[in-house]
Amino acid sequence: MVLVVTFGVITAAAFTKTVTIKVEGMKCAKCSSSVTKALKATQGVEDAEVSSDKGEAVIKYDDQKLTEAKLREVINSTGFKAVGEPGQ
Amino acid sequence: MTLLGIALAATVIALSPARVSAQEVKAPRFELKDLNGRRVRLSDYQGKVVLINFWATWCPPCRAEMPDLVRLQRRHGKEGLQIIGITYPPESREQVRRFARSLKVNYPIILGTRELKARFSSDETLPLTVVIDRNGKVSEIISGILLREEFDEKIKPLLMKNVEGGIRSAK
Repeated sequence: MVLVVTFGVITAAAFTKTVTIKVEGMKCAKCSSSVTKALKATQGVEDAEVSSDKGEAVIKYDDQKLTEAKLREVINSTGFKAVGEPGQ
Repeated sequence: MTLLGIALAATVIALSPARVSAQEVKAPRFELKDLNGRRVRLSDYQGKVVLINFWATWCPPCRAEMPDLVRLQRRHGKEGLQIIGITYPPESREQVRRFARSLKVNYPIILGTRELKARFSSDETLPLTVVIDRNGKVSEIISGILLREEFDEKIKPLLMKNVEGGIRSAK
Protein backbone atom coordinates (compact mmCIF):
# COMPACT_ATOMS: atom_id res chain seq x y z
CA MET A 1 0.00 0.00 0.00
CA VAL A 2 2.75 2.42 1.07
CA LEU A 3 4.68 1.43 -2.03
CA VAL A 4 1.71 2.20 -4.26
CA VAL A 5 1.15 5.62 -2.66
CA THR A 6 4.86 6.45 -2.88
CA PHE A 7 4.93 5.42 -6.51
CA GLY A 8 1.89 7.64 -7.20
CA VAL A 9 3.58 10.66 -5.62
CA ILE A 10 6.82 10.09 -7.52
CA THR A 11 4.93 9.71 -10.81
CA ALA A 12 2.95 12.92 -10.30
CA ALA A 13 6.10 14.83 -9.31
CA ALA A 14 8.00 13.45 -12.30
CA PHE A 15 5.54 15.17 -14.67
CA THR A 16 5.87 18.56 -12.98
CA LYS A 17 8.38 20.86 -14.57
CA THR A 18 9.35 24.41 -13.67
CA VAL A 19 10.41 26.88 -16.29
CA THR A 20 11.41 30.53 -16.15
CA ILE A 21 10.48 32.53 -19.23
CA LYS A 22 11.70 36.07 -19.83
CA VAL A 23 8.85 38.37 -20.81
CA GLU A 24 9.43 41.58 -22.70
CA GLY A 25 7.25 44.68 -22.35
CA MET A 26 5.90 44.25 -18.81
CA LYS A 27 6.46 47.83 -17.80
CA CYS A 28 3.25 48.33 -15.88
CA ALA A 29 2.51 46.15 -12.90
CA LYS A 30 -1.19 46.86 -13.36
CA CYS A 31 -1.36 45.16 -16.72
CA SER A 32 1.03 42.23 -16.16
CA SER A 33 -1.61 40.47 -14.04
CA SER A 34 -3.19 39.38 -17.33
CA VAL A 35 -0.17 37.12 -17.93
CA THR A 36 -0.66 35.37 -14.59
CA LYS A 37 -4.37 35.05 -15.25
CA ALA A 38 -3.94 33.59 -18.75
CA LEU A 39 -1.25 31.14 -17.58
CA LYS A 40 -3.24 29.94 -14.58
CA ALA A 41 -6.27 29.38 -16.82
CA THR A 42 -4.24 27.09 -19.06
CA GLN A 43 -4.84 23.40 -18.51
CA GLY A 44 -1.71 21.76 -17.16
CA VAL A 45 -0.36 24.86 -15.42
CA GLU A 46 -0.03 24.14 -11.71
CA ASP A 47 1.29 27.54 -10.64
CA ALA A 48 2.53 30.73 -12.23
CA GLU A 49 4.33 33.69 -10.69
CA VAL A 50 4.86 36.69 -12.89
CA SER A 51 7.11 39.56 -11.89
CA SER A 52 7.01 42.79 -13.87
CA ASP A 53 10.11 43.97 -11.95
CA LYS A 54 12.17 40.97 -13.05
CA GLY A 55 10.42 40.74 -16.40
CA GLU A 56 9.86 37.02 -16.06
CA ALA A 57 7.31 34.31 -15.46
CA VAL A 58 8.10 31.27 -13.33
CA ILE A 59 5.72 28.50 -14.30
CA LYS A 60 5.16 25.09 -12.76
CA TYR A 61 3.41 22.81 -15.24
CA ASP A 62 2.61 19.23 -16.13
CA ASP A 63 4.79 18.38 -19.09
CA GLN A 64 2.47 15.53 -20.05
CA LYS A 65 -0.28 18.06 -20.72
CA LEU A 66 1.53 20.97 -22.34
CA THR A 67 4.85 22.17 -23.65
CA GLU A 68 7.02 25.20 -23.04
CA ALA A 69 6.20 26.33 -26.58
CA LYS A 70 2.50 26.41 -25.66
CA LEU A 71 3.31 28.44 -22.53
CA ARG A 72 5.16 30.95 -24.71
CA GLU A 73 2.13 31.15 -26.99
CA VAL A 74 -0.12 31.88 -23.99
CA ILE A 75 2.22 34.69 -22.86
CA ASN A 76 2.33 36.16 -26.37
CA SER A 77 -1.47 36.07 -26.57
CA THR A 78 -1.62 38.58 -23.71
CA GLY A 79 0.19 41.21 -25.75
CA PHE A 80 3.62 40.72 -24.17
CA LYS A 81 6.50 38.81 -25.71
CA ALA A 82 8.16 35.66 -24.43
CA VAL A 83 11.86 36.02 -25.23
CA GLY A 84 15.04 33.97 -24.77
CA GLU A 85 15.81 30.45 -25.84
CA PRO A 86 13.39 27.68 -24.82
CA GLY A 87 14.66 25.34 -22.13
CA GLN A 88 16.64 27.97 -20.24
CA MET B 1 -28.92 39.00 21.20
CA THR B 2 -25.73 37.89 22.91
CA LEU B 3 -22.53 39.92 22.76
CA LEU B 4 -21.06 37.33 20.39
CA GLY B 5 -24.15 37.59 18.18
CA ILE B 6 -23.84 41.37 18.00
CA ALA B 7 -20.15 41.10 17.18
CA LEU B 8 -20.86 38.57 14.43
CA ALA B 9 -23.66 40.67 12.96
CA ALA B 10 -21.39 43.73 12.94
CA THR B 11 -18.68 41.73 11.15
CA VAL B 12 -21.15 40.54 8.53
CA ILE B 13 -22.42 44.10 7.94
CA ALA B 14 -18.87 45.43 7.66
CA LEU B 15 -17.87 42.75 5.15
CA SER B 16 -21.02 42.63 3.08
CA PRO B 17 -20.53 45.63 0.73
CA ALA B 18 -17.42 44.10 -0.80
CA ARG B 19 -19.09 40.74 -1.27
CA VAL B 20 -22.35 41.99 -2.75
CA SER B 21 -20.97 44.90 -4.73
CA ALA B 22 -20.80 43.00 -7.99
CA GLN B 23 -24.25 41.43 -7.50
CA GLU B 24 -26.48 44.12 -6.13
CA VAL B 25 -25.27 47.51 -7.19
CA LYS B 26 -26.86 49.53 -9.95
CA ALA B 27 -24.16 50.64 -12.38
CA PRO B 28 -23.11 54.28 -11.96
CA ARG B 29 -24.64 56.48 -14.63
CA PHE B 30 -22.54 58.58 -16.95
CA GLU B 31 -22.93 60.74 -19.99
CA LEU B 32 -19.88 61.36 -22.17
CA LYS B 33 -19.05 61.85 -25.81
CA ASP B 34 -17.51 59.17 -27.98
CA LEU B 35 -14.67 59.72 -30.45
CA ASN B 36 -17.18 60.89 -33.07
CA GLY B 37 -18.69 63.47 -30.74
CA ARG B 38 -21.84 61.39 -30.23
CA ARG B 39 -23.33 61.53 -26.74
CA VAL B 40 -23.17 58.17 -24.95
CA ARG B 41 -25.22 57.49 -21.84
CA LEU B 42 -25.31 54.15 -20.08
CA SER B 43 -29.10 54.48 -19.98
CA ASP B 44 -29.13 54.43 -23.80
CA TYR B 45 -28.40 50.72 -23.54
CA GLN B 46 -31.06 49.78 -21.03
CA GLY B 47 -32.22 46.20 -21.60
CA LYS B 48 -28.88 45.17 -23.07
CA VAL B 49 -25.95 43.32 -21.53
CA VAL B 50 -23.26 45.99 -21.41
CA LEU B 51 -19.53 45.42 -21.09
CA ILE B 52 -17.65 48.54 -20.09
CA ASN B 53 -14.05 47.88 -21.04
CA PHE B 54 -11.50 50.21 -19.45
CA TRP B 55 -8.34 50.19 -21.54
CA ALA B 56 -5.36 52.21 -22.75
CA THR B 57 -3.31 52.22 -25.94
CA TRP B 58 -0.11 51.81 -23.88
CA CYS B 59 -1.39 48.64 -22.20
CA PRO B 60 -0.35 45.50 -24.19
CA PRO B 61 -3.10 43.18 -22.86
CA CYS B 62 -5.71 45.85 -23.63
CA ARG B 63 -4.48 46.00 -27.21
CA ALA B 64 -4.34 42.20 -27.42
CA GLU B 65 -7.93 41.70 -26.30
CA MET B 66 -9.51 44.37 -28.50
CA PRO B 67 -9.77 42.24 -31.66
CA ASP B 68 -11.61 39.66 -29.52
CA LEU B 69 -13.98 42.35 -28.25
CA VAL B 70 -14.65 43.44 -31.83
CA ARG B 71 -15.49 39.80 -32.68
CA LEU B 72 -17.74 39.43 -29.63
CA GLN B 73 -19.62 42.62 -30.52
CA ARG B 74 -20.10 41.39 -34.08
CA ARG B 75 -21.17 37.90 -33.02
CA HIS B 76 -23.38 38.72 -30.04
CA GLY B 77 -24.65 42.23 -30.83
CA LYS B 78 -27.98 40.84 -32.08
CA GLU B 79 -28.41 38.96 -28.81
CA GLY B 80 -28.18 42.26 -26.95
CA LEU B 81 -24.48 42.59 -26.19
CA GLN B 82 -23.13 46.14 -26.17
CA ILE B 83 -19.49 46.87 -25.51
CA ILE B 84 -18.35 50.38 -24.56
CA GLY B 85 -14.64 51.13 -24.45
CA ILE B 86 -13.46 53.79 -22.02
CA THR B 87 -9.95 55.16 -21.90
CA TYR B 88 -8.64 58.26 -20.16
CA PRO B 89 -5.78 60.82 -20.21
CA PRO B 90 -2.83 60.90 -20.80
CA GLU B 91 -4.36 59.34 -23.94
CA SER B 92 -5.05 61.93 -26.59
CA ARG B 93 -8.24 61.85 -28.64
CA GLU B 94 -6.27 61.64 -31.90
CA GLN B 95 -4.06 58.78 -30.66
CA VAL B 96 -7.11 56.79 -29.54
CA ARG B 97 -9.02 57.55 -32.74
CA ARG B 98 -6.11 56.32 -34.89
CA PHE B 99 -5.76 53.15 -32.85
CA ALA B 100 -9.50 52.37 -32.87
CA ARG B 101 -9.66 52.93 -36.61
CA SER B 102 -6.72 50.58 -37.25
CA LEU B 103 -8.57 47.79 -35.40
CA LYS B 104 -11.94 48.62 -37.00
CA VAL B 105 -13.50 48.91 -33.55
CA ASN B 106 -17.27 48.44 -33.92
CA TYR B 107 -18.41 49.80 -30.55
CA PRO B 108 -18.30 53.28 -28.98
CA ILE B 109 -14.99 54.45 -27.56
CA ILE B 110 -15.13 57.17 -24.96
CA LEU B 111 -12.35 59.36 -23.66
CA GLY B 112 -13.31 59.41 -19.98
CA THR B 113 -11.47 59.98 -16.75
CA ARG B 114 -9.64 57.87 -14.20
CA GLU B 115 -12.28 59.01 -11.70
CA LEU B 116 -15.00 57.42 -13.81
CA LYS B 117 -13.17 54.08 -13.64
CA ALA B 118 -12.84 54.50 -9.86
CA ARG B 119 -16.65 54.87 -9.64
CA PHE B 120 -16.95 51.34 -11.00
CA SER B 121 -14.00 49.72 -9.23
CA SER B 122 -11.02 50.57 -7.05
CA ASP B 123 -9.03 47.86 -8.86
CA GLU B 124 -6.36 49.66 -10.89
CA THR B 125 -5.70 46.72 -13.21
CA LEU B 126 -5.97 47.30 -16.94
CA PRO B 127 -7.82 46.07 -18.85
CA LEU B 128 -10.84 45.94 -16.56
CA THR B 129 -14.27 44.93 -17.80
CA VAL B 130 -17.46 45.74 -15.93
CA VAL B 131 -20.36 43.45 -16.83
CA ILE B 132 -23.79 45.04 -16.52
CA ASP B 133 -26.92 42.91 -16.83
CA ARG B 134 -30.13 43.80 -18.69
CA ASN B 135 -31.49 45.47 -15.55
CA GLY B 136 -28.55 47.84 -15.30
CA LYS B 137 -26.92 46.06 -12.37
CA VAL B 138 -23.22 45.33 -12.12
CA SER B 139 -23.00 41.58 -12.42
CA GLU B 140 -19.23 41.04 -12.60
CA ILE B 141 -15.98 42.95 -12.63
CA ILE B 142 -13.41 41.12 -14.71
CA SER B 143 -9.87 42.13 -13.89
CA GLY B 144 -7.29 41.65 -16.64
CA ILE B 145 -7.75 40.23 -20.11
CA LEU B 146 -11.20 38.76 -20.76
CA LEU B 147 -10.73 35.02 -21.28
CA ARG B 148 -13.06 33.00 -23.49
CA GLU B 149 -13.98 30.80 -20.52
CA GLU B 150 -15.00 33.90 -18.57
CA PHE B 151 -17.20 35.08 -21.42
CA ASP B 152 -18.89 31.68 -21.64
CA GLU B 153 -19.34 31.38 -17.91
CA LYS B 154 -20.18 34.94 -16.85
CA ILE B 155 -21.57 36.79 -19.86
CA LYS B 156 -23.28 34.24 -22.10
CA PRO B 157 -25.83 33.27 -19.40
CA LEU B 158 -26.81 36.95 -19.11
CA LEU B 159 -27.37 37.12 -22.86
CA MET B 160 -29.69 34.13 -22.63
CA LYS B 161 -31.93 35.85 -20.09
CA ASN B 162 -34.51 38.56 -20.74
CA VAL B 163 -35.04 41.61 -18.51
CA GLU B 164 -37.38 39.66 -16.23
CA GLY B 165 -34.77 36.95 -15.75
CA GLY B 166 -36.53 34.33 -17.90
CA ILE B 167 -34.89 32.44 -20.75
CA ARG B 168 -35.00 34.37 -24.03
CA SER B 169 -36.66 32.56 -26.88
CA ALA B 170 -34.42 31.91 -29.87
CA LYS B 171 -35.42 33.81 -33.00
